[in-house]
Amino acid sequence: MEQKSVPAAAKKPKKERRSEFSGMSKALVRRETISAYLFLLPSLIFFVGFVVIPMIICVVYSFLDYGLAGFEGFAGLNNYIEMFQDKVFIRAFWNTVLIVVVAVPTVTAFSLWVSSAICPMKAVTRSFFRCVFYLPVVTGTVAVTVVWKWMFNPYTGLLNQILGTTGFNWLGNPKTAIWCIIMILFTTSIGQPIVLYVAALGNVDQSLIEAAQVDGATKLQVFWKIKWPQIMPTTLYILVITTINSFQCFALIQLLTSGGPNHATDTIMYYIFDMAYKYQRFGYANAMGVVLALIIAVFSAVQFKVTKTDNG
Amino acid sequence: MNLKKAVALALATGMTLSLAACGGGDAKTSGTPAPAASGSGAATGTEITMWTYPIGKWGGTEAKVDEIIAAFNAEYPDIKVNVEFLDYTNGDTQVTSAITAGNTPDIIMEGPERLVSNWGAAGKMVDLSDLWTEEATADIAAVSESVVNACKSNDGTYYEYPLCMTTHCMAINKEVFEAADAMQYINDETRTWNSTEDFLKAIAAVKASGQVATPGIIYCGGQGGDQGTRALVNNLYGGTYTNADHTEYTANSAENVKALQTLSEQVKAGNLTADASFQAADELQAFANGTAAMTFCWNASNQAQYASQVSFTPYAVAFPTDQETPALCGGIWGFGIFDNGDEAKIEAAKTFIKFVCDDAEQGPESVRLSGFFPVRASQGDVYAGTEDEARMAEFQVMMPYLGDYYNVIGGWTEQRTNWFNMLQQIFVSGEDVQTAADNFVEASNAAIK
Repeated sequence: MEQKSVPAAAKKPKKERRSEFSGMSKALVRRETISAYLFLLPSLIFFVGFVVIPMIICVVYSFLDYGLAGFEGFAGLNNYIEMFQDKVFIRAFWNTVLIVVVAVPTVTAFSLWVSSAICPMKAVTRSFFRCVFYLPVVTGTVAVTVVWKWMFNPYTGLLNQILGTTGFNWLGNPKTAIWCIIMILFTTSIGQPIVLYVAALGNVDQSLIEAAQVDGATKLQVFWKIKWPQIMPTTLYILVITTINSFQCFALIQLLTSGGPNHATDTIMYYIFDMAYKYQRFGYANAMGVVLALIIAVFSAVQFKVTKTDNG
Repeated sequence: MNLKKAVALALATGMTLSLAACGGGDAKTSGTPAPAASGSGAATGTEITMWTYPIGKWGGTEAKVDEIIAAFNAEYPDIKVNVEFLDYTNGDTQVTSAITAGNTPDIIMEGPERLVSNWGAAGKMVDLSDLWTEEATADIAAVSESVVNACKSNDGTYYEYPLCMTTHCMAINKEVFEAADAMQYINDETRTWNSTEDFLKAIAAVKASGQVATPGIIYCGGQGGDQGTRALVNNLYGGTYTNADHTEYTANSAENVKALQTLSEQVKAGNLTADASFQAADELQAFANGTAAMTFCWNASNQAQYASQVSFTPYAVAFPTDQETPALCGGIWGFGIFDNGDEAKIEAAKTFIKFVCDDAEQGPESVRLSGFFPVRASQGDVYAGTEDEARMAEFQVMMPYLGDYYNVIGGWTEQRTNWFNMLQQIFVSGEDVQTAADNFVEASNAAIK
């Protein structure tokens, strides 16, 4: 089983660690500390400027009535109360949850399956498949959606030609539109997980696998007992990024359905954009942003917890 | 939870919050286009920036706009004009970002629904009343009093100085209609349908002829080109979109409900298609491809744009109505100035606008660049003697059908979403027409401030 690798220094008792510095002059320690902070400074400036400060602004504005004309009054919790009474937001919330609940497991499972299949192949073949699956990731979202839109076209689309369902409106039907979005999201999301899984599976300790095989372990046992624990950190990373990407599904909706038909494809992220940029209700949009962030945080925390349990 | 996990969670939370926060406050946003230095002029003096939406060749034909700026600089060398082109997909987002970030351009070219009802009402625009001299007002009013009224707010403040206008109409595939023996339902001289009943007969004939996948598409996938579906519904039985004072929406009137029911029946009969995945651009493409035999989103500019794509004769015609004359939606485009607090720039911007719109030589040229018609009687027929004369004459016939310019009503932005949602409810989900129309009116009226 995987052992958590803890840096040696971290295992040392505090007194011992302190002694490492005791040999250094105070001036040297101060100089090294300053150097360390200077190295951190460029990224820290960006992190504070583009993440921390906007985050604080977002929370503050969520309690305000703030529109195009500027500050219009203190809203208190009104934005939050309105949100939970807003039928479109509720619909968008459930659509988002559906996308996450369907997309995250399928993307993760499919990526793992594909990676397991292509990992033992020759390097050239492996690279070819990695390229093929990664192509939608590097292709612009607009280009991808234009192609899908053409495929879904009810009159001239490839899909209807193949299925013999000419005239069926995949994106214009409330029952099928959300599944079309999920399918496109799936195809654009699997590239990175596959590349990560191929790398992770390639790093699995072969001696452990050979030892297990010598002991008579089946392929399934080798996977669950040897490989799975070792690729768990990668799985956790994939789960978290896929969850965040799914929660923030926006461009596909904007380009393909505008949230329709009848709000069938509205997502929280799209609704936030609508509120902020179409209706210019920045306070309300920020309140939704706060709630979305909390939801993602909860989902991520659950994923950490679950994978920690699995990891023993 | 250890420190690493806490940091990871904080990062995930932060990324989401920072995305949402882009819309508010004084935070700088990345969606704002950087001014392009396409202008010429003196290195010193006043430098102003203009953003234009795609209004004919004003949007994206840099060389043509540069010619105007060069002509302007020949007369005003101390004012440098930079131009940035917007599109209708992202333009509003870019402007909103610029307003919240406090880096709006000096001049913006668009219509009253944005310049007056949106940004003007929010106090972001400069009062242009001094440009509206008695002479200018009389000149514009001589073409249409609606244009004058559309350019000012309810309190009489002018936020737009108009350049050009048009009426939005529909178009048919003439060859398909001829083959279906459906041209008999259209008056070629007036470019009108004989009656609503004749329009219904025409689409049934086209459907029966089997030449196209669908006679026409009622697009309701978004707000793009929604003036077409509004005009279609309002005209069929003489309904109106708002009351005369522009204080409330009236789309649930008996005439409008009857029109929606008629269209719903036509969709069920297969004589029309309703498509919740199509916006106007998609419908126009379907028309240009020959998939549909008509488009509800046509005007002179669209005809010029799609001329090279079609292999048939696109025949412009007014919307069908049972009234004496149709009431077409109008488009009025002109200039507004954002109030950036710099008097020198504001004055320079006014000078530029005045030159572009009112100069005896440049004014007509500016109108021709838009592909629409002048709002000034003094400019006469700006296409006379040009290669576009015959083509524009086709649309000139419909200019007298310009209906009420109701786009200045409050809650305009909200009602656009409500409108296509209502169409989706009726045509896709099959909801009761009266109920859906009532819901539309209730929600849209609630958005009027």
